[in-house]
Amino acid sequence: MQYQTESWSCSYMPSSRGALGGDPLEHIERLASENAVVIFSISSCCMCHAVKRLFCGMGVNPTVYELDEDPKGKDMEKALMRLLGTSPAVPVVFIGGKLVGSMDRVMASHINGTLVPLLKEAGALWL
Amino acid sequence: MASHRIGAAGGLSHDSAGPSNLHHHHVPYATSLHQGFINQEGPAFDFGELQEAIVLQGVKFRNDEATKAPAAGGRPAATLEMFPSWPMRFQQTPRGSSKSGGESISTDSGSALNTISSGKAEASQSQLEQPESPISNINHIKPSASNQQQSVEMANDASRTGPSSSQQNQNHQSAAALTDAKPSQEKRKGPGSTSDRQLDAKTLRRLAQNREAARKSRLRKKAYVQQLETSRIKLNQLEQELQRARSQGLFLGGCGVAAGNISSGAAIFDMEYARWLEDDQRHISELRSGLNQHYSDGDLRIIVDAYISHYDEIFRLKGVAAKSDVFHLITGMWTTSAERCFLWMGGFRPSELIKMLISQLDPLTEQQVMGIYSLQQSTQQAEEALSQGLEQLQQSLIETIAGGPVDDGMQQMVVALGKLENLEGFVRQADNLRQQTLHQLRRILTVRQAARCFLVIGEYYGRLRALSSLWASRPRETMISEDNSCQTATDLQMVQHSQNHFSNF
Repeated sequence: MQYQTESWSCSYMPSSRGALGGDPLEHIERLASENAVVIFSISSCCMCHAVKRLFCGMGVNPTVYELDEDPKGKDMEKALMRLLGTSPAVPVVFIGGKLVGSMDRVMASHINGTLVPLLKEAGALWL
Repeated sequence: MASHRIGAAGGLSHDSAGPSNLHHHHVPYATSLHQGFINQEGPAFDFGELQEAIVLQGVKFRNDEATKAPAAGGRPAATLEMFPSWPMRFQQTPRGSSKSGGESISTDSGSALNTISSGKAEASQSQLEQPESPISNINHIKPSASNQQQSVEMANDASRTGPSSSQQNQNHQSAAALTDAKPSQEKRKGPGSTSDRQLDAKTLRRLAQNREAARKSRLRKKAYVQQLETSRIKLNQLEQELQRARSQGLFLGGCGVAAGNISSGAAIFDMEYARWLEDDQRHISELRSGLNQHYSDGDLRIIVDAYISHYDEIFRLKGVAAKSDVFHLITGMWTTSAERCFLWMGGFRPSELIKMLISQLDPLTEQQVMGIYSLQQSTQQAEEALSQGLEQLQQSLIETIAGGPVDDGMQQMVVALGKLENLEGFVRQADNLRQQTLHQLRRILTVRQAARCFLVIGEYYGRLRALSSLWASRPRETMISEDNSCQTATDLQMVQHSQNHFSNF
């Protein structure tokens, strides 16, 4: 089931076909450091849709990598699962190159007021 | 003693039909009963045979009418041959045991009598009206062994008063005959065992009433047995569910478990939730007494933190329940109807809670006000995001199961099932949001403010639950009036009667 990208009000950059294989985790970290807000997602995942809406609703433009559209996606997914220790692997959010976590971590940090300062610090939010 | 003429029966129809025949007969029987006590037979007395015999007797009765012979020594009616235990005529042991149901028969006979007499149009009806009150007197007469004797005496008395009252005598005889018939299906048709009284209108009426009463008793008994059966089945079901839950090692909080149509995961959660509600009451009263009695901050902190843990516990339980029955949670079947109405993703909406609290938390410092408002904003954003995610899930599910080739049906279902599993994640995230909101409130507020805040929350949901039950039990029959005064009065009464709901507040 293809995810409908037209519903997006905010834009996101397509996944960069980076360098060689290498360690998928390294690849992930490299991708994460390239932008202020990076989300690893799967196009058909509804929770990923929710986290994207959350950032767009705050006025942030996240960089989204759809793992099902990436040839290295499978490996990356496995690496993320190892990293987080939970399944499903997505959505995973990096802010300012640092791992924030999956949906419940993102929600918790937004409620306890730590998300917005983090976003500002990373330059994703102005005021 | 009024004389009840059989002549009244002259106006009766002479249909040769069956039982309906009897209803046309005047049986001003009760007047004779008024004289003393005529004990009626037990409810199991079978009037079937009586009925048949009376039909047969109908012809004979018409003949007898003309003569009006107070046949004290007349031929015995064929019907009455069924009754061997005629006190006047037969050596009969007093039937003490047969009196137990006497009153019920009398009562029914009274009502039957009323129905019978109400249809009458004859002038003689005035005489017949009298029985209706005397019948009611029977209800007050207690059966006793002496009654048998009494009826004998009555009959004796009657016979002394001359021909006009010999009619009474006959009635006494008939009554006594009925009294003494066996409760079982025994048919006594011994030839010499009945009196030779003729079957007059009163007797027939009486017999009809008794038949009616017996029929009603049988129906009542049937209904009662039916009820017992269904209750027994229900009891078995409940015991089974109890057994199942107990084997899971749960403390049974006395929650009502719906028999049959909820899953065991849902049933278990409902019980746990019921227990949690009881704990909630306890916590609330602790908070209230802590505030009213001005506990120290240290003591209050303990109570407040305990309340937070209390909420953490229900979120944990909901997480477990979501794995086994997410629909039960997300449709709110575990809550009351008012809560269910305002349900958001299987529980309360955090931003609504904040909105409710804002007015109740004064006074707050500037910083606290800022904190509360940013909490409100972030909960709103998070709720919006989750709602949109859920909407996306629904859309995706619709597309999966709508249309598609027929032979792909199973595959379709498999895909749809996979998507449904995501529901658990959304309920989980929503509960996470609620939990984080409560924790953040605790952080923003001082101990005393937090105690007051949680007391407000607990009372608010308690009132919402009380509102549900009040709504459910409100009187449905509304008195129509121009102003709504009647309705209001009813509501006020309801509120007053339900004071206990509010006693904690």
